[in-house]
Amino acid sequence: MNTLLQQAPSWGTTLWFIIAAVLLLAVVLGFVTYAIYFERKVIGWMQLRIGPNRVGPLGLLQTVADVAKLLLKEDVRPQHADKALFTLAPILAYAPAFAVLAVMPFSESIQFADLGIGLLYYIALSGITVLGVITAGWASNNKYSLIGGLRSAAQMISYEVPLVMSVVGIVLLTGSMNLEDIVKAQQDVWNIVPQFIGFAVFIIAAQAELNRTPFDLPEAESELVGGYHVEYSGFRFAMFMLAEYVYMFGMGALITILFLGGWLPIHPSLDFIPGIVWFILKFSLYVFLQFWIRATMPRLRVDQLMSFAWKVLLPVALFNILLTAVVVSYQNGMF
Amino acid sequence: MLGLAKGLGYTFKKLTEKKVTHFYPDVPFPMPPRFRGIQHFSPEKCIVCNQCARICPTECIQLTGKPHPDPEKKGKIIDTYDINFELCILCDLCTEVCPTEAIVMTNNFELAAYSRDELYKNLKWLDDNNTNVREEN
Amino acid sequence: MNHNILTTHVDTSSETGLRTEEMLLNVGPQHPSTHGVFRLVVKIDGETIKEAIPVMGYLHRGTEKLAENLTYTQIIPYTDRMDYVSAMTNNYVLCHAVETMMGLEIPERAQFLRLIAMELNRVASHLVWWGTYLLDIGAMGPFLYAFRDRETILDLFNELCGARMTFNYMRVGGVKWDAPPGWIDKAKEFVQYMKKELNNYHQLVTGNEIFINRLRGIGKFDTKTALDYSLSGVMLRSTGVKWDLRKDEPYCIYDRFEFDVPTATEGDCMARYHLRMAEIEQSLRILEQALEQFPSEGEVMGKVPRVIRPPAGEAYVRIESPRGEIGCYIASQGKDKPWRLKFRRPSFTNLQILPKLLQGENLANMVAILGSIDIVLGEVDC
Repeated sequence: MNTLLQQAPSWGTTLWFIIAAVLLLAVVLGFVTYAIYFERKVIGWMQLRIGPNRVGPLGLLQTVADVAKLLLKEDVRPQHADKALFTLAPILAYAPAFAVLAVMPFSESIQFADLGIGLLYYIALSGITVLGVITAGWASNNKYSLIGGLRSAAQMISYEVPLVMSVVGIVLLTGSMNLEDIVKAQQDVWNIVPQFIGFAVFIIAAQAELNRTPFDLPEAESELVGGYHVEYSGFRFAMFMLAEYVYMFGMGALITILFLGGWLPIHPSLDFIPGIVWFILKFSLYVFLQFWIRATMPRLRVDQLMSFAWKVLLPVALFNILLTAVVVSYQNGMF
Repeated sequence: MLGLAKGLGYTFKKLTEKKVTHFYPDVPFPMPPRFRGIQHFSPEKCIVCNQCARICPTECIQLTGKPHPDPEKKGKIIDTYDINFELCILCDLCTEVCPTEAIVMTNNFELAAYSRDELYKNLKWLDDNNTNVREEN
Repeated sequence: MNHNILTTHVDTSSETGLRTEEMLLNVGPQHPSTHGVFRLVVKIDGETIKEAIPVMGYLHRGTEKLAENLTYTQIIPYTDRMDYVSAMTNNYVLCHAVETMMGLEIPERAQFLRLIAMELNRVASHLVWWGTYLLDIGAMGPFLYAFRDRETILDLFNELCGARMTFNYMRVGGVKWDAPPGWIDKAKEFVQYMKKELNNYHQLVTGNEIFINRLRGIGKFDTKTALDYSLSGVMLRSTGVKWDLRKDEPYCIYDRFEFDVPTATEGDCMARYHLRMAEIEQSLRILEQALEQFPSEGEVMGKVPRVIRPPAGEAYVRIESPRGEIGCYIASQGKDKPWRLKFRRPSFTNLQILPKLLQGENLANMVAILGSIDIVLGEVDC
């Protein structure tokens, strides 16, 4: 892929890019389909139910049926909605969620673009999603949507800060923003050990970034009915749903890379198992944690959410940077 | 943090616990013997005393009688008997007052229909609804 | 009302030159957290509630008026549909009122059955509240755990009287059915099971820091306000007033059993949460004793005239429903139908404090406060 990227652009390379992108999209769609299935099953089991089991064997086609239904639905647009923005919002929410996957090294060989500032790229792009959410909230011309959209803006911008701060420690340790380098630097010990504080902050902030329980205030079903996507239905709603899960896919991949050693095996002796399998295992662990938390936790309140971000998470993340900086300087013999 | 961890522990334990889902439409749901389902009506027992129609709190029972065809015998026999299940609340009062147990409850409870008209059940339908009839009334 | 909620205040005086405006938000009648068809018109400034007006009556069926044309036996199924989460107490309050007027003797066994049914129903009702309240707060697991355990109670009721929610179980002078064989043992088993399960509930929810932070100090009021608004039940007890009709004006056979009336002084949502959980415990305590002392035989129906005609006059009785003080007033002219029937519904009365509690609160707290009042819309609108 990298050799292709470095070639002069031509119709041939463009075709390859499109094929690669469609391939990744197919993988991601497959993930989303079964992440939703898996989520419903896990939560079902935790709640003593059996989850979807009617469509296809073991209910495996449930999500396919759901998506097909969404796609076949009438395209409803509220009369007083802002037409252009209403159409734009789902795209705005979905595109960055998908674009961040380009820099993810899923294993040593499977990576699309080996960007020197991969981490920065991820963080910069993921910040765009919030625009989609605000746009959706505003354009729907619905009061619940508006409140949901604004809650979401406040929340995602606030949590972006500790999220970024928490990974600075890793950048300090590794000396690189390239995601591949970060993985390779974890050969001896995964970052979760030396950067545990960073990990804790990251996982909480990530939860808020993803709008998932206990930070699902923008959607807050019992308060705002559905938040920013109250008025969306059919394939536009499917786009939001997709964005949410693709974003979860991205965040899961990022956590695996940053803190859990990416494709590296638990112990070098287990090297014979391909890297991609390790990646998927660690990644699934994170996804499972998501579902587990969702089955257990209640929701935070909006004011508590903000003060938690600024008064707890941010200082902790800053402290982590300081600590890491001191340790790194000490190791480099500066003291 | 401890509270959160405890909660997570609880839900994790439930992951493998026996599920409580009942496979209802595939497997019929057994109801206890006293269950108040749709009434069964046996016209041969009815003495047209009108008590059921009078006790009904929603006035959903309508009945008419006719003179006994055998002129030797006194009394009336039932001619038409309709229950409107749009109104019936299955409160059990009609079966409670019936002196001859002509109207009794059954364990059948599936009443869903595509049209409201189908909820008007006549004498024949109620007579044919003779499965799972309640013993004790 | 000398002002109209529909007028919203537009503020252009802000120093930044921004034009801000208050917003009217219709919460309900189709809203997941109003627990039925209840509408709340709130005027919000950002997420702060300036004013709230509850709109009731979407489920009004005119039970009291309908009752004037029904015999006393016929009214019982209607009471099932008032507080449908705890229909046994409604059944009882009507029968109790008629029995008081007629001065009927209720057989011992019937009294026990009534008490057991009512207490089981109290547990079931609080379980529904617990599950749906946590659902309001945003956790969906507890709802399913609570409903699984409530299902056991409903199955018990189904065996006892043939219905799961609309029991129509009690009659003037007794109860319709005796306990089926083995029922008492099943109920005993359930009480033991529920005691253990309650600890699990506490493990799952009560210690959860997010949950505690969401409820502590929210929806607070003091004793005087509670009394001014004539609140009852947990709403009143959460402010420190020890008032439980089962203790203070014993009816049925509550005076024979040992139990405590849990009270709290904080008067906030957290206190009400703890009180309801403690009430489940106390109900289980009563049930344990009652099931142990349950008479081995006896009649379940007293000597009642064929046509129930309370003497001319009036009577008001009140009992402790899971939601508070439920009362029944009957004005009789000596006929087989009441001349006037009136229910004092605790949900309706407790709900009246809502606009006061909501003033100045956060929108997210609205759900927490409304949920902690524990209303059943069938009862509010009657």
